[in-house]
Amino acid sequence: MAKRIAIVEDEAAIRDNYVAAFRREGYTVDAYDSRAPALAAFASRLPDLVVIDINLKDDVEGGFELCRELRAQSADLPIIFLTARDSEFDAVSGLRLGADDYLTKDISLPHLMARVAALFRRLDAMQKPQAEGGRIMRGSLEIDTDRMSVQWRGVPIGLTLTEFWLVHAMARYPGHVKNRQQLMDAAQAVLDDNTITSHVKRIRRKFQAVDADFSNIETVYGMGYRWIAD
Amino acid sequence: MNLRRQLLLVSLLILVLPWAGCEFIRETESALRQSQQQMLSGTARAVAESLQRYPEEFPAQPGGSVGPADQLYGHRLDIEPVIDGYFNDWPLPPGSLRQTRGADGPIRFVVGLHGRYVYLYVAVTDRQIVYASPSTIAVDDGPTYADRVVLVSASPPMASEMLTFAAEAPGPVIAWLKNSFGFAPQPAVQARWQDVAGGYQVEARIPANLLGTHLGITVTNTSDEREPGVRSTSFAGQAPGPLVTTSPDLTSQAERLVQAGTRMLITDRSGWRIAAVGSPGMASQPAPGAVSSWLRLAYNALVEPGTEPAFAEPDPSGQERQPYIASALDGRSSESWFRSLDSGRAIVAVAEPVASGGNVIGAVVLQQGTDAILSLRNAGLARLMNVTIIATVLVAGALLGYATWLSRRIRRLSLAAEQAVEGAAISTALPSAESGDEIGDLSRSFSYVLGQLADYNAYLRSLASKLSHELRTPLAIVTSSLENLEHERLEGASAEYTARAKDGAERLRRILNAMSEASRVEELIEHSEPEAFELEAVLSTTVAAYRDVYPDRRFEFDCAAAATAMRGSPELLIQMLDKLVDNAADFSASGDLITIRLEAGEAGLVLSVHNPGPPLPERMRSQLFDSMVSVRTDGHDKHLGLGLYVAKLIAEGHGGRITAENADDGVRFSVVLPVADAKLAQVGRK
Repeated sequence: MAKRIAIVEDEAAIRDNYVAAFRREGYTVDAYDSRAPALAAFASRLPDLVVIDINLKDDVEGGFELCRELRAQSADLPIIFLTARDSEFDAVSGLRLGADDYLTKDISLPHLMARVAALFRRLDAMQKPQAEGGRIMRGSLEIDTDRMSVQWRGVPIGLTLTEFWLVHAMARYPGHVKNRQQLMDAAQAVLDDNTITSHVKRIRRKFQAVDADFSNIETVYGMGYRWIAD
Repeated sequence: MNLRRQLLLVSLLILVLPWAGCEFIRETESALRQSQQQMLSGTARAVAESLQRYPEEFPAQPGGSVGPADQLYGHRLDIEPVIDGYFNDWPLPPGSLRQTRGADGPIRFVVGLHGRYVYLYVAVTDRQIVYASPSTIAVDDGPTYADRVVLVSASPPMASEMLTFAAEAPGPVIAWLKNSFGFAPQPAVQARWQDVAGGYQVEARIPANLLGTHLGITVTNTSDEREPGVRSTSFAGQAPGPLVTTSPDLTSQAERLVQAGTRMLITDRSGWRIAAVGSPGMASQPAPGAVSSWLRLAYNALVEPGTEPAFAEPDPSGQERQPYIASALDGRSSESWFRSLDSGRAIVAVAEPVASGGNVIGAVVLQQGTDAILSLRNAGLARLMNVTIIATVLVAGALLGYATWLSRRIRRLSLAAEQAVEGAAISTALPSAESGDEIGDLSRSFSYVLGQLADYNAYLRSLASKLSHELRTPLAIVTSSLENLEHERLEGASAEYTARAKDGAERLRRILNAMSEASRVEELIEHSEPEAFELEAVLSTTVAAYRDVYPDRRFEFDCAAAATAMRGSPELLIQMLDKLVDNAADFSASGDLITIRLEAGEAGLVLSVHNPGPPLPERMRSQLFDSMVSVRTDGHDKHLGLGLYVAKLIAEGHGGRITAENADDGVRFSVVLPVADAKLAQVGRK
């Protein structure tokens, strides 16, 4: 059965373009232009994945509200913010509400499709028994490539999809410097320098929440970042 | 002309004060004079009326053919002259001598009275003196003649007598009296004949009881003793008129009536002075509060100078002929103002006729100095001058101070207004904003304008990020549409156009990213947690990386600072350096050496990036670091003039300052980074 994706986006042209793109990929797509009809529809049936714009018509923070309500209904439902708001503050707010990813609208459709597919893959992997093949062990770090999850010293770290891909890219070859372009490619997104800096900062913070002495991601000034094996 | 000079000039208007004051003083003086004159006139009238009761004291008008010209005036002498033939020991001014025409020139004569004697002095011009012979000395009618002076005395209606002075030789002469009894020498008369150049002088003392009431002088001048000679007389008519002199009774009367500082003259019908008492204000000299001459000069310059004629003392000849007295003798009260030549003060003189039985029998003249007015005026003038000087100094000083204060406020305001726009953020706080005057208004207007400017600048600064934000949605529409289009079946040409459109959209996206970079950097600065690090280490790896990024430029990193530990965000500093190096690479040519230096400055570490290349245009220097300002002329697509603005934001976010200068055939950008507190620097070093 085809996966059902809900798009909540007030800009008709963008909405229709996304709908067309997702349909082409074989998904079933429901599109809503504001929070109320979306919520009404979700009340009877939850989709498999939701793409939300933050700014919904006059409802400036409507996307955040929607995300909060959806997360209350389901803890596993993948939620992606797709918005024109590129500020750090909005990104942090969105992710704190439990969104799986925060994307700006300059992401290309193929990249968006890749993410959606990855999220579905992770969802599928979660429901299957854990396979040994998709694991990478780097000292205290354990990466499950199927479920796209990371453990540090046995404790799971809650990373967004983008963050997971960045950690994955660095940790695969410890000691190798990954420059920003390489990281960007790995994250399947067009990010600027500052966004990558923010992402790395956030990843470090998440690891440090588990292990205060975490210092395995090193900044190589002027070049990029590398994973130090412990 | 600045404000201070202008106000100082205005303050000169105070000098109108002395003029106005002098006008006032003049008015007052004129009023005071008027009242003084009236008072004096009143006094004169009262005196005249009281004198009417003594008509006998006024000599009768000589009747018939005899007039005042036929009369002699007997001057009262204070001292007794020595009978030596000379006038210089007489206590009279030379003007007292009367003059008549003689055969060879003027004959001058005077009559004096002292005690019981009548004094006579006659000076005769005579080319050739003919002395008398003893036998004919007293005879005047041949056969021989001599030069002689004759005093004619008469008490009408009795016949006249003649006292003849003729000399046998210069020296004492014997007077011969000729009357109806015949000729006789008169030994009681003392006389002396003195020859002088051009003539002779005769001086004589005659006991008054020898003489009658009427006196006259005759001079006979002959050039040969056989010729009768020419007779000249002191009287115009046939007979001499009565002798006039001051009346002791009137004088004592006048002394009782006259006040201090006033002179009283009483004349008879012909103007002969028959009493003279006092002096016009000579008593009180110098006047109290006398002012220096320069004050009077100033007064005279400010107030029209007096036009009064010079004051004349009583006529030395004994007959008062001044117009105002003449007019009184015609029966009209009159007055006149004079100015004393020596003291400069004004003198008022009034003349009042004395009438008796409808006829004018004489006149009373009162002359009074204006000492009281003068001293009043001078005191007022002095006070006025002092007050004016003090007022002028005070007002000028106050105006100067006020103008200084005012112009300082305006200068401060204009300086503050200039400085307000120079800083990074426009300051709208200006001096004098609280004051309620026009400068306060001006300050508030400035503040308002600066506020508008600040708003506008803030709008400009946020314009880029707002614009990029607003454009992002339509751009998403374009790109997503294009990406959808790629999945449609496209002809060769359509695919090409689509690819071009995608390229364009991609470029647009980059531009929008660049535009929102500044606001993202601001956000990062706000949220970044400063860490301690070694700037040198960070820079050296970064510069190494630049060698890969810009393969056709050479890089040199030069660290001249001993300690480079600092606190901040290394990522942001690198981003700043990225911008500077990018800028340096853009403005230098292939193979050029870009020098990055780190040295210790006064305010902290100084990081500079130097590149050879064209100098910065001077007019852009101040705006170089502003948002959306670019000196590039080639329309390079990825630059919107935000790179240096981002660099400035980062530098200022670290408490530093960024400057650009033309140096060493190129351009040098310098960033001064204050080193954080020593403790953190120590941590960073470990």
